[in-house]
Amino acid sequence: MIRHDVRRRCAAAGNGGTPPGGHRYRGTVRRLLPYALRFFRRHKGALIGLAAWSLLESVQTFLVGFAVAWSLDRGFLAGRPAEGLAWLAVAAASVLLAGPVLRGVFRRLSGLVEPFRDGLVRRAADQALGRAVADPARAAEAERAAVSRLTRQTEIARDGFAGLVLTVRSFAFTAVGAVAGMAALAPELLPVVLPPMALGLLLFLLTLLPMAAAQRRYLDADEAFTDRSAALRTGLRDLVACGTTGTAGSGLHGLAAEAEAAGRSLARWTAVRTLALGAAGQLPVVALLAAVPWLLDRGVSAGALMGALTYLVQSLLPALRTMMTAVAAAGSRLVVVLERFVPPEGQEPDAPAPQGAGGQEDAAPVPADGGAPPAVLCRDLRVSYGAGTPPLLEGFDLAVAAGEHVAVVGPSGIGKSTLAHVLTGLHSPDHGDVLLSGAPVRGRASPPMARARVLLPQEGYVFAGTVRENLAQLAPEAGDGRISEAVAALRLGPLVERLGGLEADVDPAALSAGERQLLCLGRAHASPAPLLILDEATCHLDPDTEAHAEEALARREGTTLLVIAHRLSSALRADRIVVLDGTSTAVGTHRELLRTSPLYRDLAGYWEAPG
Amino acid sequence: MTPFRRDTAACPVPEPLQGEARMALTDRHDDGGGTAARSADVLLARVARASAGRTAGILVCSAGAAAASLALPAVLGTTLDLLLDRAPGAGRMLAAAAALAAAEVVLSACTALLAGIVGARSTSRLRCGAVDGLLSTSPSEAARFSPGEVATRLSANAAEAGATPAAAAQVASAALAPVGALVALVLIDPWTALAFTAGLPLLVLLLRAFARRSTESVGRYLQVQASIASRLTDALGGARAIAASATVDAERDRVLRPLGALSTAGRGMWAVHGSAMARSGVLMPLLVTVVLAVGGLGLAAGRLSVGDLLAVSRYASLAAGLGAVAEPLGALVRGRTAARRVDALVRAPSLRYGTSELPPGGPGTLELRGVRVRRGQAQPLRGVDLRVPGGLTAAVVGRSGAGKSTLAEVAGRLADPDGGEALLDGVRLDRLAEAELRREVGYAFERPHLTGATVAEAVAAGARTASAEQVRSAARAAGADAFIRTLPQGYATPLDEAPLSGGELQRLGLARAFAHAGRLLVLDDATSSLDTATERQVDRALAHRVRSGTRLVVAHRLSSAARADLVVWLEEGRVRAVGPHEDLWHEPEYRAVFGRAEDAGTGPSHGSEGDDRHDPS
Repeated sequence: MIRHDVRRRCAAAGNGGTPPGGHRYRGTVRRLLPYALRFFRRHKGALIGLAAWSLLESVQTFLVGFAVAWSLDRGFLAGRPAEGLAWLAVAAASVLLAGPVLRGVFRRLSGLVEPFRDGLVRRAADQALGRAVADPARAAEAERAAVSRLTRQTEIARDGFAGLVLTVRSFAFTAVGAVAGMAALAPELLPVVLPPMALGLLLFLLTLLPMAAAQRRYLDADEAFTDRSAALRTGLRDLVACGTTGTAGSGLHGLAAEAEAAGRSLARWTAVRTLALGAAGQLPVVALLAAVPWLLDRGVSAGALMGALTYLVQSLLPALRTMMTAVAAAGSRLVVVLERFVPPEGQEPDAPAPQGAGGQEDAAPVPADGGAPPAVLCRDLRVSYGAGTPPLLEGFDLAVAAGEHVAVVGPSGIGKSTLAHVLTGLHSPDHGDVLLSGAPVRGRASPPMARARVLLPQEGYVFAGTVRENLAQLAPEAGDGRISEAVAALRLGPLVERLGGLEADVDPAALSAGERQLLCLGRAHASPAPLLILDEATCHLDPDTEAHAEEALARREGTTLLVIAHRLSSALRADRIVVLDGTSTAVGTHRELLRTSPLYRDLAGYWEAPG
Repeated sequence: MTPFRRDTAACPVPEPLQGEARMALTDRHDDGGGTAARSADVLLARVARASAGRTAGILVCSAGAAAASLALPAVLGTTLDLLLDRAPGAGRMLAAAAALAAAEVVLSACTALLAGIVGARSTSRLRCGAVDGLLSTSPSEAARFSPGEVATRLSANAAEAGATPAAAAQVASAALAPVGALVALVLIDPWTALAFTAGLPLLVLLLRAFARRSTESVGRYLQVQASIASRLTDALGGARAIAASATVDAERDRVLRPLGALSTAGRGMWAVHGSAMARSGVLMPLLVTVVLAVGGLGLAAGRLSVGDLLAVSRYASLAAGLGAVAEPLGALVRGRTAARRVDALVRAPSLRYGTSELPPGGPGTLELRGVRVRRGQAQPLRGVDLRVPGGLTAAVVGRSGAGKSTLAEVAGRLADPDGGEALLDGVRLDRLAEAELRREVGYAFERPHLTGATVAEAVAAGARTASAEQVRSAARAAGADAFIRTLPQGYATPLDEAPLSGGELQRLGLARAFAHAGRLLVLDDATSSLDTATERQVDRALAHRVRSGTRLVVAHRLSSAARADLVVWLEEGRVRAVGPHEDLWHEPEYRAVFGRAEDAGTGPSHGSEGDDRHDPS
């Protein structure tokens, strides 16, 4: 399926090609500012260290220009070439000094950049997990697809941030060294050189926002085109078969045209930036020359003029150029990427919404009367995907006694998994109650609720950790006894052995879907929860293994088992079967249902399909 | 620098694809060779011609900027001398210097503007050509390229190739400035030129001696990064389990556990990077200082003036920029390689359509005559002769690899046979006009790919767009209407916000086929993910509610074969037998196709599926 996961940005870029305006961009920068300030406050130490090393860069800049000036005034022009050479040797030595200084700078830089990257990775993981867990049915897959993009963006941000810090700092401290040098050679140089330089810088700063907006438009358009072109190949067979290649082609041509338009606008701003950069580079030199008679009148020497030119041409301009390039290229990308890591305006920063907590009242089931409450009780449930959509379940009642084994069957898409979600608090019913052992299920799953029941979804979740950690995930305090009991009950011995024993590390990607499901079944067995809900959790196992697993779980002490059945055989093992058929429901044993439910007969008649 | 040269960080291609981008260097055999290179150059030349005027502009502007930058130091030096001597004419010289400086800046800006525009135009042209090439080819040809590879070729490679005309126009001027600067050094003072040429290799050697190469930390960094990503992917895959067990915090900690190692590797990377920068950063200033020393001696000896010294130091800087030639040259080389990869899409063999129409009111008789198909070394079809009379439903069965899906492709012309012919109502499929063919032949697949913004649009997409009423009735027939209506916005639900299971996706694919049903419908395993109750419902709808025509059903299930009028039994690319299921069922090998070899001797109605056929319901 062609997923337009850049639809939002396509729309922004495609609607008549209006580029996002500079003001929007400024808003983003303003939004990011508090985060930036907080970050820098927290890493004051690294900043000070960086500044200290950078100060050496100022010293080095100062020395080079100063040595050139004196080599002329005291050496070559004074008829003492040896002294001139000696001063140039000083210049060479201070050039070489740049090596160790730069190494030191990079050491300090990593002390700033790596924590920055750590923060982004943490934030990315937080956001993706938060969104996926809040709406597992819809969000998880999309988030999964976004992981590689996330890693890439983290790296863009890391490189961009490092480049910015490096170049801005370099320009600032070079400027300090150069200004100090000119002041030492002849203070009259400063009023001549600084204003044209400032003018150039100002010009450049003015181009910054429109340039960033143009760059962003370009990146967005390019990304939209890239995403669609991958989808083009995936969907080609269907496009050809449906005769819709023409439509798809004009869609892509449109995106290519938008990318071209974005490229043209970027080219215009690049030209403007080149003008600003040229002005900042050439104006001070021309101004200095124009002022030579005035400077000579004030006793400024030829050496001092050469020194000033050295400062300009050899130190300041290269630093300015790299800074402008870095700011124009990395800067806007950095802001674009960082924006995706920060919650939109109006939302609380740093509030990962701990909705899982606050479940204290769920903890203590109060038996209404002396008898044990049913393990599962649903009263008059109405369940739908959202307001205004037809219900999946309506007036649904179900009582499952403690220790019972119940299977749920029904055609695909009828709402079996949604029922499992409702029972476990992952999906809220429109109205009606769910009580597990008398405790109402309200809101999100909480730790006390999690100790009362286990949901095993179709996709067996195995994580990078030891086999034991995986088996004991839901029972962290479980001793060896409980784990080996689970291993034995589900015949996990051979699998555990192949993986290298309980203490061996598991590589989830190296396991088959069936092996993952087996480990999850073991995890459920080891957990202390009395109610186990299996949502097609054995679909990748062969029928014999499935049968044994279900029987083993049903035999587990004090267990109530609710199985959303994948095969009819699985339903046959249950004490009772629930047949979901849209908004009507039938409950009974296999025999009863064959008599009373036409849908069940339909399902049973076909079910044993090979493959 | 053109704005289109992008480092990997800027390249908006998903992570796993970057490896493929790197594969550009080791091209596939079909892209390689002299003809492919020539064809790619022809493509580039065509694209460059389309922007000939602007490309010439780049040549002129960049050459002009280089000439200005070359003249500037000499003029600056002379100006300084005149000013120091307070000689007349200094003002005019100063004006000339200012004019030259302005010319250099303006011409550079023009170069940037034109290069950007030519790059954008050329990229767009290449992209459109490649998109058209890909769209005109047969899906089986396109299958040679993975989706990621197509994305890389269309986006990153096309952009690189698009930058070549501008790069080619700038190569000469990029060389002009440094070479000219060296000549200028010779003219002003040969000793400085000597110092420069002798000093350059010496310094490079000296600095290289200190080089400690280390890529270890980079590899380690990528490894840890990948491990965090895969931990996160795993956890997201288990989102339901994590949500249910309320263990998000523990999972987040687990995902982030390798972060410390990432930091360590990252710091190592910066250290290596810093050393490299430290080495390359000192080279140029050191060289200029050496030239300055030689020039200073000249000054002391009276050979040179202060202005000459200024000129010499700036020429040395310019000459040291010789390495910058590598940039447009590199872009040129990379662009030509990239153009080859784009060209492979442009030149992908296309499915050509004819102009014939089908005889009106034909029943949809499908005929294959001696059809052979080759796919690389494999021969999925080795001479298939087959006739399915109009209006009948034919099931295609056989073990995996027997050629079922290839037969389905050929029957509706998703691919052309390498030998033999396929006819519909007596007309060769490849003589049919595209619109006619796609209107009369429909497909439903095991894993359909839907296009369109909403669910309704996805079902309506076809050679003619189906009406809302047709969409709804097709969805009902495919058993999709009920679940579509439970979606947040029903039929108007955006596709990417609709959580679809495999079975639901299949039903939407079926609905799309039903909404456009013509005289032949090919179902390639299109009901495999449906539960049996739904499959039966679809089957009934197909029989009564969808326009009747010929059906070719590739199936694995026994029930599908049993319900068909005719079974085509394929074996190793040939038709083993054609006949009703009951007749074939007596053959043990036929039963083995369905894993029912042990049922020998019992009738075809044996097995729960077989029952259905005789079920009076």
